[in-house]
Amino acid sequence: MSEEAVKSETPYVLRCFVNGKEESIHTTPAARLLTIVRDELSLTGTKRSCEIGRCGACMVLIDGNAVNSCLTMAYQCSEKQITTIEGLAVQGMDPIQQAFLEEGGFQCGYCTPGMIISVKALLDENPDPTDDEISEALSGNICRCTGYGGIWRAVKRAAEGRRQTT
Amino acid sequence: MLLNRASSGGRWRVRPDGPGKVTGGLAYLTDMTTDQMLYGLVLRSEHPHARILSIHTDKAKKLPGVRAILTYMDIPGLNAFGIAHPDQPVLCEERARYVGDALATVAADTLAAAQQALELIEVDYEVLEVVDDPERALLPGAPQLHPGGNELHRTVFSRGNVDQGFRDCAYIVEETYYTPRQMHTYMETEGGLFVPGEDGRLTVYSPTQHGFMDRMQLSRILAKPQEEIRIVSSPIGGSFGGKDELNVQPYGALLAMQTGRPIKIHNSRWESVRAGLKRHPMKITMKTGIDAAGKLMAHQVSIISDTGPYSTLGAEVLNFATEHVIGPYQYEHLDVKGVSVFTNNGMSGEFRGFGGNQAIFALEGQMDRLAEMAGMDPWVFRKLNMRQSDDLGPFDQPIAMTDGAKQVWEAIAKCPLWMEKQQLARMSHSGDEPWIKTGIGAAFTMHGAGLGVGIPDPAGGRLALAADGKIEAVFGYEEFGQGLLASLEQMLMEQFGFGAKDIRMIIGDTDVVPDSGSTTASRATAMMWKSLQKLKAPFSGQLLQRAAAILNRRVEQLRLAEGGIKGRSEEALLLSYKELAAAAGEPIRCETSFSFPTSSTERVGAHYMYTYSAVVVKVEVNTLTGRARVLQQYHVVAAGPVINPQGYLGQIEGGSSMALGFTLLEESIMEKGHYITRNLDSYLVPTIEDQRGLVEVEAIEQLPEGDDYGPRGIGEVGSVTLAPAIAAAIRQASGKWATKLPVEPSFLQETPFFLGKG
Repeated sequence: MSEEAVKSETPYVLRCFVNGKEESIHTTPAARLLTIVRDELSLTGTKRSCEIGRCGACMVLIDGNAVNSCLTMAYQCSEKQITTIEGLAVQGMDPIQQAFLEEGGFQCGYCTPGMIISVKALLDENPDPTDDEISEALSGNICRCTGYGGIWRAVKRAAEGRRQTT
Repeated sequence: MLLNRASSGGRWRVRPDGPGKVTGGLAYLTDMTTDQMLYGLVLRSEHPHARILSIHTDKAKKLPGVRAILTYMDIPGLNAFGIAHPDQPVLCEERARYVGDALATVAADTLAAAQQALELIEVDYEVLEVVDDPERALLPGAPQLHPGGNELHRTVFSRGNVDQGFRDCAYIVEETYYTPRQMHTYMETEGGLFVPGEDGRLTVYSPTQHGFMDRMQLSRILAKPQEEIRIVSSPIGGSFGGKDELNVQPYGALLAMQTGRPIKIHNSRWESVRAGLKRHPMKITMKTGIDAAGKLMAHQVSIISDTGPYSTLGAEVLNFATEHVIGPYQYEHLDVKGVSVFTNNGMSGEFRGFGGNQAIFALEGQMDRLAEMAGMDPWVFRKLNMRQSDDLGPFDQPIAMTDGAKQVWEAIAKCPLWMEKQQLARMSHSGDEPWIKTGIGAAFTMHGAGLGVGIPDPAGGRLALAADGKIEAVFGYEEFGQGLLASLEQMLMEQFGFGAKDIRMIIGDTDVVPDSGSTTASRATAMMWKSLQKLKAPFSGQLLQRAAAILNRRVEQLRLAEGGIKGRSEEALLLSYKELAAAAGEPIRCETSFSFPTSSTERVGAHYMYTYSAVVVKVEVNTLTGRARVLQQYHVVAAGPVINPQGYLGQIEGGSSMALGFTLLEESIMEKGHYITRNLDSYLVPTIEDQRGLVEVEAIEQLPEGDDYGPRGIGEVGSVTLAPAIAAAIRQASGKWATKLPVEPSFLQETPFFLGKG
């Protein structure tokens, strides 16, 4: 809803990489990454929910770090590597996605892309996280359906799977 | 059986809608866009209660990019909606009764233009006195919100003579319980796409829990025949009852018809909070007495429910609460009264548990207090007073008989977590951290499913062999995350023998599906199961007869299998479903329609089918911070056969997490009719950090011999027993009885001993 605030701003060309592909996006410096991803690039796997950075439904990876795209402005993304949920399954599904499928780590699925992005950021940095570390890494992702039971199982399974394959 | 992946074996399956959800490939209805699309927004009242003197849209209409601005004058049909009783204006004419009331709706080329247009609409209000307290709303002289006054609905149920009953009691507990205005907090806010067709038809892509109900309501508003409206309503990013009533649909539909262009609406979170439904806040006063032996003698209840400005299902929720404050116990004397009251607070309405959550918190609180007063074990006390399997239901109505109450009681009695309660009682709390105190509590319920007596409750579905050889299962139900598609697929595989790849499931599209009734009230899985039971013989028979004719074999020699028809005891495929579909003959197609089973009573809202459940919970109270943490939960649910183990487990885990929020965290705070908690920074739902404890779910599947009702509902029952169990655990931990939810930290905080006087 805050797009009116940016309409009068000067035009800006955002050059960045989205899911490995180089993009030049005509926008404004303060346009939100969430809007760019969903409306300009039609990557609607990134979800809009609270828009104040509390729920994590809009999370994407920027240079490997999980960020809320609703709080990220276009100029902050210049020359960055942005990965959305659509960019995770490169050759078949990511093992994290597979673990969510097998353990029932989702129900309505609306929080799931953001949740999986957070798990990806966590496990890439810390392949063997403790419960405290998992909890901290995912505490910015709200799931209203599962009660997190399936999410706990999926994260542990994904971590275990990674350890076995490396 | 303890439900988990290991115990479920091959029945633990990947959901058919899973791949689209974990890859982000699944387009929700609020993800949809189309060419020529306009953005819709709604102007809502600045005041919780005001007379509307005038609405001026001239300035806004002149704004470039604005395509339509509609007010009450532009509504072709009925300017009202509401599932049970349409009294909520689509666009207010002369009076606003809450801060979500809509006054105008705008369509523009861009969201920015639509937003600016809203700001240019001038409304003159005469601010009126705000009715923000349901008790004061009932006093003489209170402003009257509707022509019929401030009472939406009253309930009464009595048996015997409570005054007499209380005279014979050895112990009496009197207590008043308060429950919060809980928000559904579905992650996908309301929205959708509204597309007018060249043929004059309108297609609505917007989440709901009953497409045909939306179609009927929109038909009334648009003055357009129902056949000219198509509702596509799944997939849905969460609902929990909150999207059953119309929300943005009237505005999208009106704007689309007015402009002839597709309209996209997607509520911001604040808009969702402001206009959307919440759980009814209730004040429940109970007086309950027992004799010296611990037998319940008399139970007197008064319920006051804050229903907000309009009806929606406020009366039905009160009926449900009235039934569930009586619950699974036997009383000599009973006197229950309830009233649902209009206020200028937020809209209250349907929410998972449907008034049971509030009722059971209060009722189970009474049981624990009485047991303690009588010096009895709380679980033994419950057994002494619990219904027998052939007893009538809470309203003295005939119900589908099961041993659920006894089964659940016994499972808790022998569960290790419950036995640990005795050990805790013997332990002193003098560890390294004496401010950490632990307790264990349990609670029990019978929870009704289906809409109950007096409300049309249709069910049914269709199976067909499609031209391309797919087995089509067509139901008018919705997938909002609960796993309806997974359950349907699993039943088709297990009961018919089809493979997942043979099946095409079609739901949530009023142009194609039969009216299977609403996807509410824990009814859909039971009704799909019943439909398939009814369809099994005719549909399988037709498939096999056709195959027998083609294969020149006897029907008895053949069976349905993955991929096609096989011989009774052969593994080789004899005929694929595609070949079967290509063969000449009448289309193979079977349909069934029936109603959800109801009790033979006149009592409106009384239920016939019940799920029995109980939970034991271990809670840690930090008396320095005042925070309570749930460490462990053990749920027992008696609901007949487990159709889909992953879905079942997920419903209980998820429902109980919602209940954890209801008990410890969640409250939509309002001040004089205005929301203070406007987004997820102040309205706090459980995070993964709140859900670190072990949650186990034991499913009791056994039903009485000859029971042909099949699986009972499990969608709501996980969300109704946790609150009183936590309250009982807090009592053991801290010595305090919580009567108001959510339990505030200030209530549990204590002055540390080391700050006390030496």
